[in-house]
Amino acid sequence: MKILSLKQRESLVGASGAITYLMYSSIFWFYPFVWLLILSISKWRFIGKPQIIGLDNFKAVFASEIFWKSVGNSFRFMGFYLPIVLTLSMLFAVGLQRMKIGKTFVAMCFFVSSVASGVAYSIVFSKLFADNGPINQFLYSNFGFDIPWFTDSNFSMLTIAIMVSWKMVGYYGLIIYAGLEAIPKSYIEAAALDGVTGIKRFFKITLPLINNQLMMVLIAAVTISFGIFTEPYMITGGGPMQSTITPMVVMYEAAFKSINPTLAATMSIFMAVISYVVIRVSKKLMEKEVDLI
Amino acid sequence: MRYKKNKIGTIVIHIAMIIGGLFWIYPYAWLIASSFKPSQQIYTTGLFNIDFTLENYNFLFDSSAKLHRPFVKAFFNSLVVSLSVTSIVVVTTSFISYGLAKIKFYGREAVNGFILFQMVFPAFMFIIPLFILIKKMGLIDSYSALILPNIMSGWAIFMLVQSYKSTPGEYIEAAIIDGAGIFWIIGKIMVPLNKAILSIIALNTFVGIWDNFMWPLIVMKSFDKMPLSVLLAIFSKEFGQQYVGPVMAGAVIQTLPMVILFILFRKHFLNGISVSLK
Repeated sequence: MKILSLKQRESLVGASGAITYLMYSSIFWFYPFVWLLILSISKWRFIGKPQIIGLDNFKAVFASEIFWKSVGNSFRFMGFYLPIVLTLSMLFAVGLQRMKIGKTFVAMCFFVSSVASGVAYSIVFSKLFADNGPINQFLYSNFGFDIPWFTDSNFSMLTIAIMVSWKMVGYYGLIIYAGLEAIPKSYIEAAALDGVTGIKRFFKITLPLINNQLMMVLIAAVTISFGIFTEPYMITGGGPMQSTITPMVVMYEAAFKSINPTLAATMSIFMAVISYVVIRVSKKLMEKEVDLI
Repeated sequence: MRYKKNKIGTIVIHIAMIIGGLFWIYPYAWLIASSFKPSQQIYTTGLFNIDFTLENYNFLFDSSAKLHRPFVKAFFNSLVVSLSVTSIVVVTTSFISYGLAKIKFYGREAVNGFILFQMVFPAFMFIIPLFILIKKMGLIDSYSALILPNIMSGWAIFMLVQSYKSTPGEYIEAAIIDGAGIFWIIGKIMVPLNKAILSIIALNTFVGIWDNFMWPLIVMKSFDKMPLSVLLAIFSKEFGQQYVGPVMAGAVIQTLPMVILFILFRKHFLNGISVSLK
């Protein structure tokens, strides 16, 4: 009898934790979620009652040149970021695996950039890559040229991709490294016995075996690409010639500068769908079921 | 012969990796060096050949009070908010996860499924409606606006539930037979046994809140209550051209606590990677 009541009491306690979370979620997750849906079909400027206007916001987003420009910029960013960050993380992971001494030191050097705070590192890189900054001075005195990192619309997004890569390579690289370490030595030896070595072994054996880790990195990298805000906000203000304006900047300005929260909310729905589709497609393209026998 | 070739290769890789590592921390080193340089020397590559000065920090601590940009206050704002959120998240997560992992009750799997479902939706979707909610609650420009939306985390609960599940039930049963209550079980058994994952949750939460920029930029209006990230951004946009040095000093103050935290808890940060792989 006592044990039963104890059991009942216990499940009540267990459920109360879950209920606390559900109540919290209904205020800070579900309520905003409903508001998001209402905003997307309303006209409202933070004052009074929202007026339902149907799908006008969706039409407005479709017609918004700056929004689609920013979506295009996200893809441009990905075009720079994914190859740079994937190649560097891979090189870092493979190099780290071959190291015998100083491994932790090198790993830390790369990994510590992942805690760099967005605002502070934007300030640092805006100075490092300034037209007359240290990097250009170095380039000019050694190679006789310099690069308009942030002031030319062809380079500005590339420079931001370099910054974000600096921040993320250590983190991604260590994920890949963990995957490399998990490959059984016998596989590599078996491959060597069959005469598969070097580049061929890397592409035919190593890469498929770390597919899970690569997928994780890829999805994390794609997710970051759609969330870029601090870097353009701090450094370029979206310029030059709107070349670094991102969906987050467009949404922020629509909601809080042009006081058009309903349009911004609708944009965020578009962005959620776009990022979902891109992640889905990249999973389809890249994911391979690898069976370890 | 082959052995020799391998050896040379290994040496080359070591040298390349160490140079790469030093290259990677150059921005940090440059930031710290330039915060001690006179403003006119900042745009140089040097790290050690500088006219060492503390004027940037002095400016930040003294004169910015005259410009009404209270950096010391902002530092403590960030610290208080990050610490509060982190400690509350650790407490709520360890309690809620216990029920979801170890106690059978009706609808448990539905709640676990709901948490997974929540994680599909990107955070940026919620920024504008959450702003409206905070506004309706009358919390704009208050610490609560920074703390309340973050005190429970689906991600943290998800992680801890996985970890709790692998804690053997015998410990708990033995404690129950000894007459232990649920708080004792969580505090004395579950939390110590799952310390590794809880510290990852705590560190990630702390760094995330400290670094948070867009949300406080939207909800905080008065300079006295701003976290450091926002005050530094505003200061840099307003005075960045005249006062480059103080901006660099501010960036050091914003960065350094995280770097120190990272160095102190490097093991846990590394652990976090292997855990997130499971």
